[in-house]
Amino acid sequence: MGREVAESCIDGVIIEMVSAYSTRFYSSKPDVAARRIEAIGYQVGHQLSERYTMERPRFADHLEAIKFICKDFWTEVFKKQIDNLKTNHRGTFVLQDNHFRWLTRISLDPAVVANTEAASEGESGADSGAQMTSMLLYFPCGIIRGALTNLGIPCAVSADMSNLPACKFPCDTRQLVVLVF
Amino acid sequence: MANYLAQFQSIKSSCDRLVVSIEDVSDLWPSIKEGLEARLPLKKATLNNRTRNPVHVENLPAEFILTTDARLRSRFPQEQYLFWFREPYATIVLVSCEDLDEFKTILKPRLKLIVQNEEKEWFIVFVSKADPSNDQATKMAKKVYARLEVDFNTKKRERCCKYDLHGPEANFWEDLDLKLAECIRNTLDKRVQFYEDEIRKLTEQRFMPIWNFCNFFILKESVAFMFEMANLHEDALREYDELELCYSETAGTPGKHRDFGGIDNGDDQAALLNPGFKQLTLIVQDDCFREFEFRQYIFACQAKLLFKLGRPLEVATRGHSFVISFSKILAMHENALPFCFREVWVITACLALLKSTTSHYDGGVMSPDIEREFYRLQGDLYSLSRVKFMRLAYLIGFGHEIEKSPANSAALSMLPWPKPPIWPALSPDSSADVLAKEKMILQSKPREKHFNIQRKVLPLEPSLLLREANRRRAFLSVGNISELVEGHANDGSGPDANSRLTSKNPSYMSRTFSGPTISESRDRPMTLSEVYVAAEYSLKLTVSDPDLLNSLSSLEEFEKKYMELTKGAADNYHKSWWKRHGVVLDGEIAALHFKKGEIDQAAKSYEKVCALYSGEGWHELLAEILPNLAECQKILNDEAGYLSSCVRLLSLDSGLFLTKERQLFQSELVRLAHGEMKHPVPLDVSSLITFYGTAGPALELCDGDPGVLRVTVWSGFPDEIVLENLNLTLSASFGADEGVKPIKSAEKHVLKPGKNIITLDLPPQKPGSYVLGALTGQIGHLQFRSHGFSKAGPADSDDFMSYEKPTRPVLKVLSPRPLVDITCAVSSALLMNELQWIGLIIKPLDYSLKGGILHIDAGPGLKIEESHLIEIEGHDPAEGFEKVPIEGGKVALPDWASDVTTILWFPVRAIDENIARGTSSALLQKPSIVDGMRMIALKLDFGAFRNQNFERTIAVTFTDPFHVTTHLTDKSTDGTLLLQVMLQSQVKAALNINDAQLDLQDGFEHVAKTDRQPTFRTFPLVISPSSKAGILFTVSLSTIEEETPQQDSILNLKYGISGNRTVGAHAPILANGEGSEEMVFKVALALQRPVLDPCVAVGFLPFSSDCLRVGQLVNVRWRIERLKNPETDVSASCRDEVLYEVEAQPQNWMVAGRKRGHVSLSTAQGSRIEITVTCIPLVSGYVHPPQLGLPEVGEQNISCNPAGPHLVCVLPPTLSSSYCIPA
Amino acid sequence: MIVCVAVVGHQNNPLYLESFTGGDDALKLHHIVHCSLDVIDERVNNPKRSASTLNETFLGLLYPTENYKVYGYLTNTKVKLIMVTTDLDVKDADVRSFFRKFHAAYVDAVSNPFHVPGKKITSNSFSERVGTIVKSFGHSMSL
Repeated sequence: MGREVAESCIDGVIIEMVSAYSTRFYSSKPDVAARRIEAIGYQVGHQLSERYTMERPRFADHLEAIKFICKDFWTEVFKKQIDNLKTNHRGTFVLQDNHFRWLTRISLDPAVVANTEAASEGESGADSGAQMTSMLLYFPCGIIRGALTNLGIPCAVSADMSNLPACKFPCDTRQLVVLVF
Repeated sequence: MANYLAQFQSIKSSCDRLVVSIEDVSDLWPSIKEGLEARLPLKKATLNNRTRNPVHVENLPAEFILTTDARLRSRFPQEQYLFWFREPYATIVLVSCEDLDEFKTILKPRLKLIVQNEEKEWFIVFVSKADPSNDQATKMAKKVYARLEVDFNTKKRERCCKYDLHGPEANFWEDLDLKLAECIRNTLDKRVQFYEDEIRKLTEQRFMPIWNFCNFFILKESVAFMFEMANLHEDALREYDELELCYSETAGTPGKHRDFGGIDNGDDQAALLNPGFKQLTLIVQDDCFREFEFRQYIFACQAKLLFKLGRPLEVATRGHSFVISFSKILAMHENALPFCFREVWVITACLALLKSTTSHYDGGVMSPDIEREFYRLQGDLYSLSRVKFMRLAYLIGFGHEIEKSPANSAALSMLPWPKPPIWPALSPDSSADVLAKEKMILQSKPREKHFNIQRKVLPLEPSLLLREANRRRAFLSVGNISELVEGHANDGSGPDANSRLTSKNPSYMSRTFSGPTISESRDRPMTLSEVYVAAEYSLKLTVSDPDLLNSLSSLEEFEKKYMELTKGAADNYHKSWWKRHGVVLDGEIAALHFKKGEIDQAAKSYEKVCALYSGEGWHELLAEILPNLAECQKILNDEAGYLSSCVRLLSLDSGLFLTKERQLFQSELVRLAHGEMKHPVPLDVSSLITFYGTAGPALELCDGDPGVLRVTVWSGFPDEIVLENLNLTLSASFGADEGVKPIKSAEKHVLKPGKNIITLDLPPQKPGSYVLGALTGQIGHLQFRSHGFSKAGPADSDDFMSYEKPTRPVLKVLSPRPLVDITCAVSSALLMNELQWIGLIIKPLDYSLKGGILHIDAGPGLKIEESHLIEIEGHDPAEGFEKVPIEGGKVALPDWASDVTTILWFPVRAIDENIARGTSSALLQKPSIVDGMRMIALKLDFGAFRNQNFERTIAVTFTDPFHVTTHLTDKSTDGTLLLQVMLQSQVKAALNINDAQLDLQDGFEHVAKTDRQPTFRTFPLVISPSSKAGILFTVSLSTIEEETPQQDSILNLKYGISGNRTVGAHAPILANGEGSEEMVFKVALALQRPVLDPCVAVGFLPFSSDCLRVGQLVNVRWRIERLKNPETDVSASCRDEVLYEVEAQPQNWMVAGRKRGHVSLSTAQGSRIEITVTCIPLVSGYVHPPQLGLPEVGEQNISCNPAGPHLVCVLPPTLSSSYCIPA
Repeated sequence: MIVCVAVVGHQNNPLYLESFTGGDDALKLHHIVHCSLDVIDERVNNPKRSASTLNETFLGLLYPTENYKVYGYLTNTKVKLIMVTTDLDVKDADVRSFFRKFHAAYVDAVSNPFHVPGKKITSNSFSERVGTIVKSFGHSMSL
């Protein structure tokens, strides 16, 4: 369906967006920058979910919707499926992608990583790099949240990238965001 | 066979239960009758349904009939065979016999004869009359019965049972029942089998010309009837369904045209629930039935069974779809039917269905969703009939009274007109009615909406009735429409009519008068009123139902019925959770209430509707209904409600109303607001007045500062609106204290439509960051309130994506911090007693000191010379220089100095009365800093409202220019002394001494007696900062006694100073400005006369211990020796004892022994004595030891050793040694 | 012919409503669409009644009246697409294909970055596209 763009362009756009927000617009307030990026992701996810659910029957329950996100949606966006879906049956789902596409090209400086692992307090460049990566992750988080919300599952999505390029996205659907206009 | 129809019908209606025939062989019936009939209806039986599966049926009704009965006799065999269903299902043979032979010979053959007919299902009941006491008889009976059994029972079937008249066996009746049921079952199976074979045969030839539906019908219905009799209603129903199916398959076959039916009188009342409505014979038509009646008949039968099965819901379901489909069929045959027949039929059908279903419906047992479904269907039926009813009403001219609401319009304008072959014409004698209608039309003007809103009224007709009617009159040429239009334009039937007509196609105008000129009235196109009258007339012919007729007879009746139907629909829809349908109909009810003047009920319903629409944001519909609500509220004088309605109206999309309408809303609102309301209500205008912080970064304030906050307020009012006052609450966004702080602005604001910028001045706020809370204020006397954030905060244009309320802080109050710093430019070594500049460096820390006022308060011993101007200069003079006055210690800072660091110079004079003393160089006493120190208290008030202030006390030290020490450098034998005066500069400025005079004390005089000039002339003598200079004086002792003895010698120094105020001491300021003029510095010097003729010598003996320690006792010893006898002043010193006195500085020493006392000293020359005083040194360091004085001996007669004061060294206490210092 | 098509948001708020009657009686169509939401609610809340079309996006005929038919379509994101037609013999397949196209158009419209989710759709291109779809529906009926 529709037109396609080179993946490299996507990467470029995302990186550029992140850097623009986090270093140019809101360099002083990283939290605001994060919120903006997340918001953009939210809208994108909102629209993508609208598109990718077009030709399919409605979901009976939340789990189906989440499975859809893990399989088809993920495939559409990231060319692969989620590797592992965990849930605590109390409304928290953890989507794990062992080879998250948008992080494959990101590598922290091993030396720095080493010495941060050595030194318990990590004031070195490693966590600045980590910070950058987490900045990159706000966008996919927003996408997931937008998609789920649009499928009627308001939730809060965070990201955990303890070991790159694997990445976990815990989605907490317990807190109900009521959308009121 | 079809001609048996009548008979069939009658039989069917005559017999309604199973028949069991009684073959009473030996007249036992009367005796056993009631016993048997007590068993009826059959409690339970197991029968086979049409799929041959056993089914338990209960309370099977049956009837015992003697074979001798007329009803069973005299039937032609083929009849029996045709109407088999009514034949007995079982035969009970009653026999009794006491004698075996009699049985053998008579009874047995007879029985054989009876039961030989295989058609029958039979069994024998042997009745024994034998009394149990008479065992002979009983035995006999037993025997006979045994015989009977042997003869008539077969292996597979028991056909006998024994009944004892006196006390029958317990199990007899059960046995009987079982046998009976068995018989019935068998018969039923047999007959069903038979009928089905017949039917099959018939069905095969279905599409042959000889096919006759009636035969099929009779067979089919017989089966159905049998099942029904056998309480197998399910099966009966299925038979009927098949029958219906077959009918619609065959009856629809093209070929011979059948007429439809429904032309008889009373047909207009739907008979879909009344099977006996018409004789089948009446509706039969050669080989089939008329569709109109037959379909209703079938449905009626089905409905009957369904009710028996207790399924009113299914009746309703089938009924609804039946009505709809049937009404389609009616439409097809419409031109064969009376005028509006279809509508009338539908109405009656719906009402009938409603009536019966509700009567049969017993709630409770059903599951909730079934229940909802049922109510929904009820609602559907109601609304269907309602629509048709409205249509009829419209046709006869009540259209003007029907609310032109969206619902009605949707229902009616898509519902085509009835299509009679020709439109009913006007009956000749109806002019009166026509006039009446005319009047009605004229009187009923379309109700104009409140706020005189101009709306295109929604159509209630698919096309203009007038044209429709006239078009359908065969002979009317279309051309005449045009004149009709002119004739019609002024008959007041609503503007929409002709506008619609012309808009439909204007070509009517062009095609004028092509038709024949019309002379006689009946060819003239009918006017609307005539159409109405004609319609009404022919409708009355159609309608036979008196109730319906009545409700169409007059407007009141119509409205009553209309209300009833609408209510019914609404209530049922509400019960079925179709809230939208229900509420909308409530709106219709409200309209009717309104017409009747029951305003409060109308208002209630309207509120519901508005709530629904606004809740889901259907503004177009809301805009339609809300003005009505507003009108009700206005009439009810419900000001609060009316106000809120106005607000809601205003806050609808502006596209929905004309500007002038919206202006009217506003003016209403304003009028109420300014008029005095009985109960003023707070008004929520969140949707109408929204507000957000102006673009850009938040306003930042220092702690305690007031500020001015700019808020963008968006007004949705069409006109300017005056707000008497305006308050804005700020809420601390993530402050610990959740204090919302209202900011009031008393003055009235005028909001333009659209964007307004409002500035509010902010009282000082607590530190933290604040977001906009709510906007409150007053319109007229009315409090209004708005929480409405417009998401249009331009800065956060993408906030909506996260669906967050824009919590952009509009105000940041910084936590307290120093805003200014004031330090002293030079704080030390200014000239005492001279007018000196003190410089204050005022350094604003990026905070404006605009309008700041500095209070300078000089402490004791310091005086500010207010006669002089203050000088303020920038850090580099380029930034500015200004002289400002100072009054009462207040200085106003100039504006240019508000943001830059400035130095403020002000003149002070430190006063010190007591004259400076020079000291002997031997004892090293420097003048202590402390007594030159002066305090200045500063207070700076600044900030926009002088709300900020800064206080500081600074210390400035003043000092004399010189520190003077004297030293006796030499003493010549002739008694002239060389006195050296050393001057040490104490200021950071060059001092130049122009002249020095020494007024000597008594006992001294200048050597050069002529004048008292110093002996050398090297003035001016320049002393650079912190350097020394010395002056020598030669003086000699004088013996001149003066009567006023002068204690000290005074050294007068005339000096000048060349210093810079930025460094330190400088030339004093003078009134006339020029700085460097001579100053005089007086210093007192104490000179000691040298010892000339010593007669007593006092020697300070060295300490015994080599070193002194603090706190250690030490003996201080002096030796006094008389050198020679004093020749003068005998009285004083020629006595043989002397008075001594020990002087010690109390801060250094504690004297342990006697300080003062007499010691004897012989007057002989050379006599000596030693005085010892025990002391404790209190401080360590070099201190003057105690001194021994001899007060009675003149100074000049004592020679001391050492001559001058000297120092001893006291070591600090050893750490180990503990001591105490006595208080 | 199709009288009216509408898009209704997941809070039953109208997002788009276009009537093709030509007359200015759109209000009644608003009413029809609004009321049809009752049926959709019912279908969704107790799908027992529409067990055959369980969770299918196409809800089929919402209610038959004598004069017009209302068809419904419910997307996965709880957005309702509703179509009102006056021709009484409609082939199911046609309606399905119509809704498929309609849905596609809707998705494209909301994918516009300047569209605010949950607000009315005010894109001309969208309404044009819908117009053509409606026309084509008419054609497919005719031939």
